[in-house]
Amino acid sequence: MGKKKQKVVLPPELPPEIPDDEVEVSDEDLQFIKENRNYASLLSTLDTHSITKHVTRVADAKDDALEKLYEKRMQKNALKKEKEETGLQVDRVDALPIKTLDGKLHYRTASKTVSENDLSEEGTAEDTNMDEGMVKLTKAEKRAKLKKMKKEAKKQGKEMAKAEVEETPHAAVLAEVKEDLTAEQTFESKKCKLAELGNALLTDPESNIKLLKEMVQLSKDDDHTIVKLGLLSLLAVFKDIVPGYRIRLPTEKELEMKVSKTVRKMRYYESTLLSAYKAYLQRLVILEKKPLFQHVAVRCICSLLDANPHFNFRESLLEATIRNIGSTDEAIRKLCCSTIKSLFTNEGKHGGEVTVEAVRLIADYVKAYNCQMHPDSVDVFLSLSFNEDLLKSGKTEEDQKLKDKKSKKRKHSEASNQLTENDRKKSRQELISKTREEVEADYKAASFAPDVMERKQMQTETLSAVFETYFRILKHTMQSIGARPEANAGALSAAVEPLPLLAPCLKGLAKFSHLIDLDFMGDLMNHLKVLASGSSNSGNTSDKSSKCLTVSERLQCCIVAFKVMRNNLDALNVDLQDFFIHLYNLVLEYRPGRDQGEVLAEALKIMLCDDKHHDMQKTAAFIKRLATFSLSVGSADSMAALVTVKHLLQKNVKCRNLLENDIGGGSVSGTIPKYLPYSTDPNLSGALASVLWELNILSSHYHPSISTLASGISSMSTAHNQVLLSKSSPQLAFKEMSLDQELCFTQQSGSIKLKNKRRTNGPAASLSIGSTTVKSSFDDNELQRKLISHFMVHHDIKENERLRKELDRTASSLQLYEQYKKQKKLSKPRR
Amino acid sequence: MRPLDEKETSVVFEKLFKFVGNNLKNIVENPSHEGPDANPGRYCFRLHKNKIYYASESLVKRATNVARPNLVSLGTCIGKYTHGGSFHLTVQALNLLAANAKHKVWLKPQSEMSFLYGNHVLKGALGRITDNIAAGDGVVVFSMADVPLGFGVAAKSTQDCRKLDPNGIVVLHQGDVGEYLRMEDEL
Repeated sequence: MGKKKQKVVLPPELPPEIPDDEVEVSDEDLQFIKENRNYASLLSTLDTHSITKHVTRVADAKDDALEKLYEKRMQKNALKKEKEETGLQVDRVDALPIKTLDGKLHYRTASKTVSENDLSEEGTAEDTNMDEGMVKLTKAEKRAKLKKMKKEAKKQGKEMAKAEVEETPHAAVLAEVKEDLTAEQTFESKKCKLAELGNALLTDPESNIKLLKEMVQLSKDDDHTIVKLGLLSLLAVFKDIVPGYRIRLPTEKELEMKVSKTVRKMRYYESTLLSAYKAYLQRLVILEKKPLFQHVAVRCICSLLDANPHFNFRESLLEATIRNIGSTDEAIRKLCCSTIKSLFTNEGKHGGEVTVEAVRLIADYVKAYNCQMHPDSVDVFLSLSFNEDLLKSGKTEEDQKLKDKKSKKRKHSEASNQLTENDRKKSRQELISKTREEVEADYKAASFAPDVMERKQMQTETLSAVFETYFRILKHTMQSIGARPEANAGALSAAVEPLPLLAPCLKGLAKFSHLIDLDFMGDLMNHLKVLASGSSNSGNTSDKSSKCLTVSERLQCCIVAFKVMRNNLDALNVDLQDFFIHLYNLVLEYRPGRDQGEVLAEALKIMLCDDKHHDMQKTAAFIKRLATFSLSVGSADSMAALVTVKHLLQKNVKCRNLLENDIGGGSVSGTIPKYLPYSTDPNLSGALASVLWELNILSSHYHPSISTLASGISSMSTAHNQVLLSKSSPQLAFKEMSLDQELCFTQQSGSIKLKNKRRTNGPAASLSIGSTTVKSSFDDNELQRKLISHFMVHHDIKENERLRKELDRTASSLQLYEQYKKQKKLSKPRR
Repeated sequence: MRPLDEKETSVVFEKLFKFVGNNLKNIVENPSHEGPDANPGRYCFRLHKNKIYYASESLVKRATNVARPNLVSLGTCIGKYTHGGSFHLTVQALNLLAANAKHKVWLKPQSEMSFLYGNHVLKGALGRITDNIAAGDGVVVFSMADVPLGFGVAAKSTQDCRKLDPNGIVVLHQGDVGEYLRMEDEL
């Protein structure tokens, strides 16, 4: 703006306001308006005041002077109006006056709509330029404008009311429609404005940075949709223009210093951006608590955090995200979780600091909510990744440092021993090493990669927070279990306090088990042991309290314990006896429909198949129990169990005594001479004194692969050491079979055909035909087919017999004929 | 030969409890099928010439026929009272302990021999160890093929074993099957 002083030139007066009654509204006009409402509304919705003001605005005048001028004009107008009203009194006779609420008397006159239209018609020309014009307004002006707008709105409202009262019903309807249209109109214009502002910001953020404030202002609108749109468009803008570094506002000292133009510009840009960002975030955090805007706000927060985890104010973003991580709303929770997960996985973006903060915050929340949160909130830890090399490399580095020190010392001592003749040389060397160190330090500071030590520090912090959370959950579970039996002894219906976080906690422990400190191990194992047993020590309460932990959860505990042990102790082979006992008993409690088969399969794999060495007694007990178990569950579960049995039998040659149909007894079975099926300790069950008759039953299982497997197992012998490597783990077998099962239901007839083929070919062919027909009688078609084939066979046999008889007969007749011929021949020569 | 008095019983049971824990019940209530009776009898403990024997009731009844000075042994000898009056388990009790053991240690094949000569079990000899052994617990020692070799007292808990150096002692030797050869006369 040019700042030359100019004489204030008053803008040209507007065309004098024509008193309403003087304007004659012709029927044609009304007709036109009615027909072309759109035109009319377009005109009427314009902010007439601001337009007029803009038209009449004086470019270079001082604000105060201008305001005075405006005030004067207002007064004039008011005077005029009064005059008009006094002038109107002439027509009083027309109708009875109406008294409004504020006590003024009003007289019926012609409608005022036309005058408004006129005004707005004048404004249309400036319509297109309006936005730009408004942009150039200074702050003070804007404020003044806002005030005036408010006043104007009030006045207009009054006028409208007046008009509504005064107008004929026909006009009233018109006005109402107009009002609706104006709302739509403002909405449209605001939308357009948002778009324009956003566009301008994106095309040239440096010069248009001021527009940000306006956008933020716009997003504080009364209209919900506008607010939402504003938030979203701001999000898009911020996502694009936020720089890849953290903005540090200049200190006062720095502000005082003289700087170049570009630097000043940059500073201005940054500070504006930062303040707008802050305002936006505050707005978001406020809106996030209102249910109406929650979705939008959370979405904005999440995507902002995802896009700019390095930028200022990320703490508040992070806090808001984690506050919603356990939200009851599915969509919000998913959003937050995925954001946090992406934060964890893309640590390069923020150098890992945010990870530490996030994990800390989650840990605090778990503490605050006393472990009553949605499992998703702890599930996010699973996507954390820890760099193991970092821990190791750190150690080696330290070692190296130590070594260096030692060698230096040695060198030093040697050097001192070697007299100080080469002093000069030494000093030069020192100088060189000093400069080298300096260079290295500079390089470190300049290089982009974060310091190894720093990262290590952060990782340690994260880990400790994660494990703190996990241990807290475990402890909480323990406490609730311990407290329960006493609290509601006998009351089974009492509401069981849910333990939502246990499952993800166990999963996490299993995943990060290799990182647990050895010192925690003992406590952890003890906790897991208690959890796996599902009860506090007293035997009486065990039934009740086992209700709170499901079988799958307890199996999970066993699995975790084994994983922890395996991952930490390569050197020491520890036998987790107690967990085996728990598994042994859990197998009995397992119900196919209720519990997860995958967990059982995993437990079998990890505990029985992967372990290298077992006691004979224990193995035998497990073999026996699993065989029994596989009789009473679905094909998938029993397949998993049988694969385990096979595996165990292959590894433990001695246990193949179970396959002999002679009870071992005596020295083999130890002190227990008889098999005790209900024993709780696998070591004391005396399973070696039993025979695996179950396999015999299983070999006639309806499922072909189970029956073949069972017969395969029973054909293993103690005599020669077969080296058979089982290809499949129980888990794999379980998966395959459960897939198979689904297929089986759809192609039942096919599988039965297959089975029958097997029957006739395999070793089990001795089964009578009758039994197969009885079995397959459930399927009518099958039965029919069977009967037909049976009949055909019978028919063939009968036919055969008949033919054979005939053949015999003809043969005999032929013979007779031959004999007859011979006799004839003999008789002939006689003659 | 006489039944143990209260003090002696508690001493014996405490000693056994260290090794077998709650399985002590199994030792006491183990049914015996010896003798002509149709219903199984029980096993009981008897003191004879400073030695404790574990024998079935029917055997005890029949042993009463033999005069005290003439009776050399009956059932299984599981321990003896020393001159100082303390009770020691002897290696014959190994079978009983191994069947009911709570804490076990498996030895690597190359270090079995060392243990059978009466040495302690070092950490380097450990093939396997059960979880949560506390220091002072009774431990039964097995070979990797699950043959009981002897028993002893844990010097370190399982937790501490991890940090131990390979030459540290894990189990203090008390008895091993090598004694059948080395101390034939005493047994």
